[in-house]
Amino acid sequence: MPDPSSLVRSYSPRGTFQTPMRSIAMARREIYVSRHVIWQLFARDFVANLRQKILGYLWVIITPLLAIASFVFLNYAGVLNPGEMSIPYPLFVFIGTSLWALLMTTVTAVANGLIGNSDLIIRTNIPKIGLSLTGLANVLYNYIVGFLLLLIVFAFFRLVPSPWILCYPIVSLPLIALGVGVGLVLAVVGTVARDVTPIALSVLGLLMYVTPVVFNADLSNPVLRRIIVANPLTYLVDTPRSLATLGVIPSPIGYLLSCMLSLVMLWIGIHAFYLVQDKVAERL
Amino acid sequence: MRSDLSLVAQRVSKKFGLTLKQSLRYGLKDMARTFLGAGVSTDQLRKGEFWAVQDVSFELQRGESLGIMGVNGSGKSTLLRMLNGVYAPDAGHIQIRGRVAALIAAGAGFAPMLSGRENVYINGALLGLTKRQVDTLIDEIIAFSELEEFIDLPVRNYSSGMFVRLGFAIAALSRPDVLLMDEVLAVGDLNFQKKCFDCILSMKKQGTSIILVSHSPGSIWAVCDRGLFMDHGHVVVDGTAEDIVRAYDDQNSRNAVESNLRLSAAHTATARSDSPSVVNESLAVPSRGELQSIDGVICREFRILSRQNGEEVGEIDFREVVDLELVIDVYQVIRNASVRVVIDAAHYRNILVLDSYEQGLMLDELVPGRYSFKISLHANNLRPGAYTFNVTVISKHIAAHLSLWLKCATLVIRTPKELFFYAEPLAVVHLPATFTCQPQLAVERSLHA
Repeated sequence: MPDPSSLVRSYSPRGTFQTPMRSIAMARREIYVSRHVIWQLFARDFVANLRQKILGYLWVIITPLLAIASFVFLNYAGVLNPGEMSIPYPLFVFIGTSLWALLMTTVTAVANGLIGNSDLIIRTNIPKIGLSLTGLANVLYNYIVGFLLLLIVFAFFRLVPSPWILCYPIVSLPLIALGVGVGLVLAVVGTVARDVTPIALSVLGLLMYVTPVVFNADLSNPVLRRIIVANPLTYLVDTPRSLATLGVIPSPIGYLLSCMLSLVMLWIGIHAFYLVQDKVAERL
Repeated sequence: MRSDLSLVAQRVSKKFGLTLKQSLRYGLKDMARTFLGAGVSTDQLRKGEFWAVQDVSFELQRGESLGIMGVNGSGKSTLLRMLNGVYAPDAGHIQIRGRVAALIAAGAGFAPMLSGRENVYINGALLGLTKRQVDTLIDEIIAFSELEEFIDLPVRNYSSGMFVRLGFAIAALSRPDVLLMDEVLAVGDLNFQKKCFDCILSMKKQGTSIILVSHSPGSIWAVCDRGLFMDHGHVVVDGTAEDIVRAYDDQNSRNAVESNLRLSAAHTATARSDSPSVVNESLAVPSRGELQSIDGVICREFRILSRQNGEEVGEIDFREVVDLELVIDVYQVIRNASVRVVIDAAHYRNILVLDSYEQGLMLDELVPGRYSFKISLHANNLRPGAYTFNVTVISKHIAAHLSLWLKCATLVIRTPKELFFYAEPLAVVHLPATFTCQPQLAVERSLHA
């Protein structure tokens, strides 16, 4: 690494068009250079979130436990009656909703990262991409805790998960990539027009009903069925779930295409972010 | 970039939209064009935009310090933010070498829920230090900030002075190559300010380049080798620290006069609309100031005239003598009259008086008619600044003003080129004097004594 005291920064108006490759290279370099700051901000958000709460660090497990308890209750009350399924419905819903929540919280955290750190953007020169990613701290920790709870839920139903469950965190990564990509676009556009992010999040929320999150993909309505088959989110949600519970990938080609789509979205997000990030600070 | 320079700014400009709505529209338009791959030219003003900073160029050598002064809204903070890489310039180019520490506002980046100690690590990281580097500095930082007792207290209970102490300690001890400071030290107490200045000067000796934005001539004069004076986004004066302090003082005097006039105009307008009968409608009312006419006499005109060409002036040089002219209309006989000019400074009222009786003009009886008075000053010892004139006509036998005209004229006295006035902003009169110095005791004896 070069000596920081000889490094020359230069600032000029963005005139030349930037290639998408260059955006990726810049993102990589900036995140590497500012890794200490990003780590400190990660820690800050995590700790500050739990201070001044009676239960303190217990909150880390309370929230997910409550979510499970509600499903257990619904199951015993007999409200949930999804019909024949190869795995218990509460397990199906738990995995489905936690994967969906992963996508939603990623988009929300990244989209609000810039506005939430406006104080730092105006007064320091930390790379803006680093600041938008700091919101991922809580997302990632929820993700890890969620995975551990998943094992508890399996134990509750006296089921043995497939050994492929070890791949669960990896196969759900495309959801995070997709979420970050969408979030980055919303982050920069949202600083100019503040209502873009809420609108996009509502639309994204509606997509849950054409994705097999709380119901099975085998619907009798052919139109709805076709939409679900064409929806890339279907594969991103279905694959980790089937892999964890049954050890199979329902549609490898669908999953592969969806993964590539997620990576393209991530790329688009990073490129869009770098194209207009210079205009962000003055609009906060 | 030459190796002895730590900062180069070339024709740097930045524009802003005047209204939120306008900048929302332009922002979306620019974004759409950028996404579509069309270039966005930023160096032209569009409707509803203005230059917050325009065509600013300067260079800064290693270890040199630059002061930036200017009244509020002159573009100082925008320039500093561009130097810190927060805003990208809309035109021009900035190069800056080495690690940059910016003290732009007290408490930037402090997380309120966390303790002072935890925040030192966060702030250190913001300045580019690793955790290990902060570990080695933290005791020094705590000692410098003198916050030993409070370092584990959540910073939301800190005062603004404590924020500055901690913020400055981190920034200074991180040994940056360039330090950008925006008027933050004023919040600290005197002892801490002194400590900060000592620290800044020693950083400067070690090669740190400093840019200081301040409204305090004392700070600029203490720290800076050179300076820029900005007005409406332009650099108006680029010179020594003394030059820019002078330019700043003059600008402030002019603004004081202007805001004074605006305020009294607003006041008069309100008073007139409230009670139109206060001023007799049949009399011609002066266009400026506030006129009260009680009894049989009215002040008509008051002017400050240049001694050289006899023209009315609003701004003169230091020590320049002027003539004052007062015209009054008398409607009833006044016995033992005197006319009086009272001068107010920016912060004090009634600092000087010129009274006709005191100065030896006897007006035993004024019969109805128009009178013109000329008052020739023999010397003018007013220090640079803004002054307001009030005139009144009184009679010995009546214990009240017959006519009183407040704020009938204003005068700005410019700072001189050959003298530097910095010592006391509240002082209004300069008494010319000669200072001499003679040693009374030899050094050895005074040491033994």
